[in-house]
Amino acid sequence: MPEENVDVLIVGSGHSGGMVAKILTEKGISCVMLNAGPIVDYQKDRELKPAHELPYRGFKMPGRLPHVFQANEFNANTWVDEKEVPYTFNQDQPYNWVRVRLFGGRSLFWARQSFRLSNYEFKAKDHDGFGTNWPIDLSDLAPYYSRVEGIFRVSGHPDGLPQYPDGNFVVDDSPWSGSMQRFIAAGKKMNVPVCKPRSAMGRDGLASSINLLLPDAFATGKLTAVPNVVVREITVDKNTGLANGANFVDRHSRREMSVKAKVVVLAAGCLESTRLLLNSKLANSSGVLGHYLIDNIYGPGVVCSVPEARDGKATADLMGGGALIPRFRNINTKAPNFIRGYALNVWSSDRPMDSRNFAAYGVELQKKLDSYYGSGFSMSMMGEVLSRYENHVSIDKNVVDAWEIPVLHVDAKYSDNEFNMSRDAVDTGVAMAEAAGFEVLSKNYEPNPPGYSIHELGTSRMGDDPKTSVLNKWNQSHDIKNLYVVDASSFVSGGWQNPTMTILSLSMRASEHLAEQMRQGNV
Amino acid sequence: MRRRDFVKAIVAVPVTAIPIFGQNATPPTAEKTSEPQSTSTAAAPPTPETAPKPVAEPQSFGFQSPAIPSTIPDVIATTEQHYFHDEHMATLRKLGDILLPPMNGYPGSTQASAPEFIDFLISVSPVERQKMYRSGLDRLNSEAHQQFGIPFAQVNAQQADTLLRPWLRTWMVDHPPTEPFARFINVAHEDIRTATMNSQLWSIAATSAGERAPGIGWYWSPIDPDVQMYV
Repeated sequence: MPEENVDVLIVGSGHSGGMVAKILTEKGISCVMLNAGPIVDYQKDRELKPAHELPYRGFKMPGRLPHVFQANEFNANTWVDEKEVPYTFNQDQPYNWVRVRLFGGRSLFWARQSFRLSNYEFKAKDHDGFGTNWPIDLSDLAPYYSRVEGIFRVSGHPDGLPQYPDGNFVVDDSPWSGSMQRFIAAGKKMNVPVCKPRSAMGRDGLASSINLLLPDAFATGKLTAVPNVVVREITVDKNTGLANGANFVDRHSRREMSVKAKVVVLAAGCLESTRLLLNSKLANSSGVLGHYLIDNIYGPGVVCSVPEARDGKATADLMGGGALIPRFRNINTKAPNFIRGYALNVWSSDRPMDSRNFAAYGVELQKKLDSYYGSGFSMSMMGEVLSRYENHVSIDKNVVDAWEIPVLHVDAKYSDNEFNMSRDAVDTGVAMAEAAGFEVLSKNYEPNPPGYSIHELGTSRMGDDPKTSVLNKWNQSHDIKNLYVVDASSFVSGGWQNPTMTILSLSMRASEHLAEQMRQGNV
Repeated sequence: MRRRDFVKAIVAVPVTAIPIFGQNATPPTAEKTSEPQSTSTAAAPPTPETAPKPVAEPQSFGFQSPAIPSTIPDVIATTEQHYFHDEHMATLRKLGDILLPPMNGYPGSTQASAPEFIDFLISVSPVERQKMYRSGLDRLNSEAHQQFGIPFAQVNAQQADTLLRPWLRTWMVDHPPTEPFARFINVAHEDIRTATMNSQLWSIAATSAGERAPGIGWYWSPIDPDVQMYV
């Protein structure tokens, strides 16, 4: 017999859902976790293969996953199929919605960059007058950041920069390579800080909910995980107005089922959680549900060569290592044609150069590749996208997914602020590279389509005012007190930073708040 | 001796495009539920001798699948020309010969059957990519006629360079040139290199040269695929 009433129903198993499960079960609260996709078996589901054994010789299967630029023939089966779970957008405003429904979600594959938001993000409106402040600031989240950084084993170096807040690091004191030292020196003359990157090392090769969070939850005996079920809608008690469970469908058989719960926590990923709320027609007395969609600008970058490393002269002393240039624009100075700022990822590489960096072919190209081997130095941008009401998602009633659940329509585009910021990022990178004595080989000013960063944020934003926000500062729905949304949909602004540490910290904080509310009988 | 590294300069991403894909831990699996025993649906209780017995658990004999040595079809067969007409194919073959000839024991585009593979690839590609290739090959051929009075398939190296060099660009991933003909020349160059360097002949040449075989990566099979996809 199924349980009459689950204590807490968690929808989603990625970083945010995994954190909820860990915190609540460790406090003695029973949870059921629903996940739309299957559990991965690393031994069974993958094998080493050469490209020539694949049907398309390593080319992505034409027409498959057209909006997942990160997909290739090797990894195509790990992403959500766009035909199975479609979404719509205006043809002149493409959006790349990149999803993983495997158990653990995108936490299985993320790039590990781990940053805190600063008060230049939390209180951005105080700084430049645009947008809305978060209802919390860095001091509210700092204790949670520290605990999360400890779980994920974030390596980094304290730099004392307010826009790049220091954290609970496994300290990175590795020496800089010669090429990096030259770049740092060039940056100093331009007042551009060049810092050590910050990255989650995780454990045993993974930094995922499935190895860092969920094992703790399972160890309590209070977590029940159900894969392969697609939630159709959250249900509500007509008398109390409280959330009381979910209707879902078995992914394989299409059998419709329902589960009752005392509390519902959405952690399905930013746009999936919002989609669920929109389809359920819940939690939107403010009218802003679906609005203020944000992500990060990715795509603009520069590729260079260090001349002294060419023709076999690359050494470990000269080449190698990475760096991070945190936001430096619009901190103490004002950029002429954009607000907010960007970061640059920097790499010094002793590996082969990409052939696209040379306008050559045949024997000439091969000679260049041989000569330039091991001399690569590149930069790529991560920029803040302004949070604007008109960038939004809604339900497309004309299209349903493979389980007949109405899909999202995404309406988002970048503005002059994003394009001007991109140009500044590339020009700054070029100027620094040339000042360091590097040869610039190629550069790109054009951002990738919105969504490419896989950092979609907002659409169920938090705030103190129920008229202008969906959630309160504890990720709790203003309208339905036993409904929490703990993924990145709660973000008010995005910053330049990878959002994972913030997602985890907010989820931890929200979970502890929920547990206390339950203990007090308020929820 | 520094290794020249044809092999490592391949375009195809050998491992997943997503960086840092730590993969040593075995994730926890859901608990298996025991299969229910089958029961009789007969109206009258069966006698013990005729009662259906519970389904026996299949015995494991420690069966190991025998290794079956196999090869890819390219080793024993050629790809049928399917999409481009003869003039297009001749232009594409010449383009491949120019852009990636055989070098230092490694096969060139023709030897690796890259034009034939690209013919197949474009035949199943979206309309926009098909159009880019057709109009690009047409223009290349047309320019050869205009400048040298011969089809592109017959130009010499010098003539080919005159036609191609003005259109070569440097570019970054996901951002090829936007001008249509430049886009074709540079994307086709990329495709020819990928199809050639990801061929088995290239892999054999690399192994013979003592280089690491190229393009090896973690291939993910369909994971518990949706049964409806096969209905």
